[in-house]
Amino acid sequence: MQVEAVRERVYEGRPGFPAEYGPDRQGVQPGYPFWPHEAYRDLVIIFLLCAILLFLSAAYTPVVGPSANPAIQPFIIPDWYLLFSWGLLKVADVLPTCQPPSCQIPDGFGGALNVDGAFWGDVLTLIPVLPIFLLPFLDRGREARPAKSPVRGALGLYGIAFVFFASLYALNDRLLETWPFLTDDTLKVFFVVPPILVGLAAYVGLRRLGYRDMYWWLVAALGAAFALILASGFWAFAIGPWGLDGIDPWTRLLRAFGDPRAWPTIVFGLIPIAYTGVVFYATAALRERKAKEIVLVASVIALFATVGLVKWSADANPAGTYDALRLIATNGNFLVALPFFALITFYVGTRTPYSTYEYLLNECYQCGKCHTVCPVTKVEDDALGGLNLVYNTFKKQHDGVPLWTCLACDACSAVCPLDIHYSDYILEERSKAFASAAEAQARSGVPAEAAK
Amino acid sequence: MMPLDPEYGPARTIPHPVMFRLLDSEAEDAAPPADIPVPKGAEYAYYPGCVDYYDQEMQFSHLNYGDTDHGIIFDSSIKLLKAVGIEPVILDRSFMKCCGHDQLWQGKLDVFQRMRDYNTRIIKMLGIKTLVTSCAEGYRTFKLDYKLDGVTVKHITQVLYERGLRLPPPKDGKPIRVAYQDPCRSCRQMPVDPIYEEPRDLIRRVENAELVELKTFRADAQCCGVAQMMYCNDKTKGLTASRMAEAKELRVDYLLTACPKCLTHFGCLHHENRWKPEEERFRYRVIDITHFLAERLEGEAVGRPPSVIPEAQDPRQKAAKGGA
Repeated sequence: MQVEAVRERVYEGRPGFPAEYGPDRQGVQPGYPFWPHEAYRDLVIIFLLCAILLFLSAAYTPVVGPSANPAIQPFIIPDWYLLFSWGLLKVADVLPTCQPPSCQIPDGFGGALNVDGAFWGDVLTLIPVLPIFLLPFLDRGREARPAKSPVRGALGLYGIAFVFFASLYALNDRLLETWPFLTDDTLKVFFVVPPILVGLAAYVGLRRLGYRDMYWWLVAALGAAFALILASGFWAFAIGPWGLDGIDPWTRLLRAFGDPRAWPTIVFGLIPIAYTGVVFYATAALRERKAKEIVLVASVIALFATVGLVKWSADANPAGTYDALRLIATNGNFLVALPFFALITFYVGTRTPYSTYEYLLNECYQCGKCHTVCPVTKVEDDALGGLNLVYNTFKKQHDGVPLWTCLACDACSAVCPLDIHYSDYILEERSKAFASAAEAQARSGVPAEAAK
Repeated sequence: MMPLDPEYGPARTIPHPVMFRLLDSEAEDAAPPADIPVPKGAEYAYYPGCVDYYDQEMQFSHLNYGDTDHGIIFDSSIKLLKAVGIEPVILDRSFMKCCGHDQLWQGKLDVFQRMRDYNTRIIKMLGIKTLVTSCAEGYRTFKLDYKLDGVTVKHITQVLYERGLRLPPPKDGKPIRVAYQDPCRSCRQMPVDPIYEEPRDLIRRVENAELVELKTFRADAQCCGVAQMMYCNDKTKGLTASRMAEAKELRVDYLLTACPKCLTHFGCLHHENRWKPEEERFRYRVIDITHFLAERLEGEAVGRPPSVIPEAQDPRQKAAKGGA
């Protein structure tokens, strides 16, 4: 029935090319205007929801429990969804404060604000909230899908990571009691480094998802990661807190080789550095396929080497292992985060997309304009009643014959409101078909000359 | 190439196996010839493409008692370029290969890449600054699918438009109606520099010519029916017929196009009508825009006159005799 209806419409003899597109397109669009129809409807729904809330809060007064008492609860924490704000309030003491009344800010209501930890905590709490308001104005791309708006997507993931690590810092006293080798400063740096790494990896991965060549991004990001981890390792061992004994780094390094308590530190420090270096080398110097194999092997080796060595050295050399864990945990922002960053960025930056145009063709929302203009769907019985030929082939509604009957005249792309380039899909699919035929021929062992 | 499934696949839809075997085999030899008989560092170079090959295989070409003359595009283009003061270097096929458009769109990516690399090397070697084609497919291929950094690729209509081609007033002032078919490759497939206005402006420069638009035109122009020399059958011929019928309804005297493939397929249908006089014939001429403009230039006529059908074979004379 559907086919019949479409057939009648197709063969009506009308030109089939409406005047609403093309270079002479009119500005007038069909449909209802936003104002006032949509606005009225939305206002009615908003008032209804407000009325329900008011009624519920008036009828059922919520119970507020007793206030927290440090004598009963040693670790006071708010509800989980407010932890990030709690963490920001806690971290605010790194910012400069001063005693009143030397520095007070008028608050606009006749009073004055003290510039203290609470003030900075309030200001910092705006950090995760502000982008939510600003992003629609900053990133005004037409499409909201992550791969088409990588900045928005990366900032979103940055925000999630930031909120997570801010929440983690809200528990800092608990964490420090549980794991004494951690330090408060390390937890504070968690506010800065891991969210940036997450945002960077997300950007690289999203751009790759949008079919961009991310080679130089990968090289730059992983090169920076390798340089940072080298510097961090050097700092930690030679000139950092480890080296407070006043011995010059070279002497101490030489001495460490003879010191059984120092070798776990050297080994466990070198594993992440070497691993990041291998990933960087594979990214920069090798072809993608080879680089993936190398990174896979290196990851498996690093994982098993780390786990096995920790287990073994914890039994054999507990004091040295404790030193090593302390060193790595204290520099967790670099020695732990950067190898994971290298692995994840490498993975998302070299991930093979499913099929080059699958992603783009999935944008189609079946408006049917392409069907109106496709010349082949007007004459080819197989293709009657569908959208344009390419889309149908892509959706496996045909056996692939229409792929070879497409004229690649691009009338569909010209009218497509989403600007999908169907002819590029044709190019790719045809070359794939030929390539797989050649491969099958090579596999069957028939030489090309004989096959001719 | 390779044996592909004849029922489902390109083998079913490529109707000129001999020609493509010939063109594909060109790609095998990647070594450039020892001496290339053209000067280096020329400003303009003209690439005629594979138009001459069509006349050898097409049954409706002027060599085979038909009207369609593909080779004349070459002569006309040279005449027109000379008329605007350009002496182009001719990149003929003694040292250039096919541009590879058809191979690319038929899926033979490796063949295309070999042709592209070879042609790019020759073009770079000759130090050409502007590459002029008279073919819409060549225009697209050189401009989009090749990586000719530093070489400007132009369609001949763009060159003539920019250089201000002047056409002398016609000798007989008989008004003619002219329609222009926008080839898909040079208009809506071009993200940069699509050719819409240039050919129309050139047609308007002919004093007694009136430009009429077909039912669909510019970016919305319907396809001529066949592209990349694939999938030629009765159904696509129906598309060609509907396009030519649009021109017939407008009572045009000329249907022009800027693409040799459009010319081929319009010409094919035109020729079929000629051999079936009992069917209604499209009585207008279908020619390339370069041919149309060159005819209106002064000087030596381009091309050869159409070959004469032997009397014994001419269906119209037979019909006339039978009628008498």
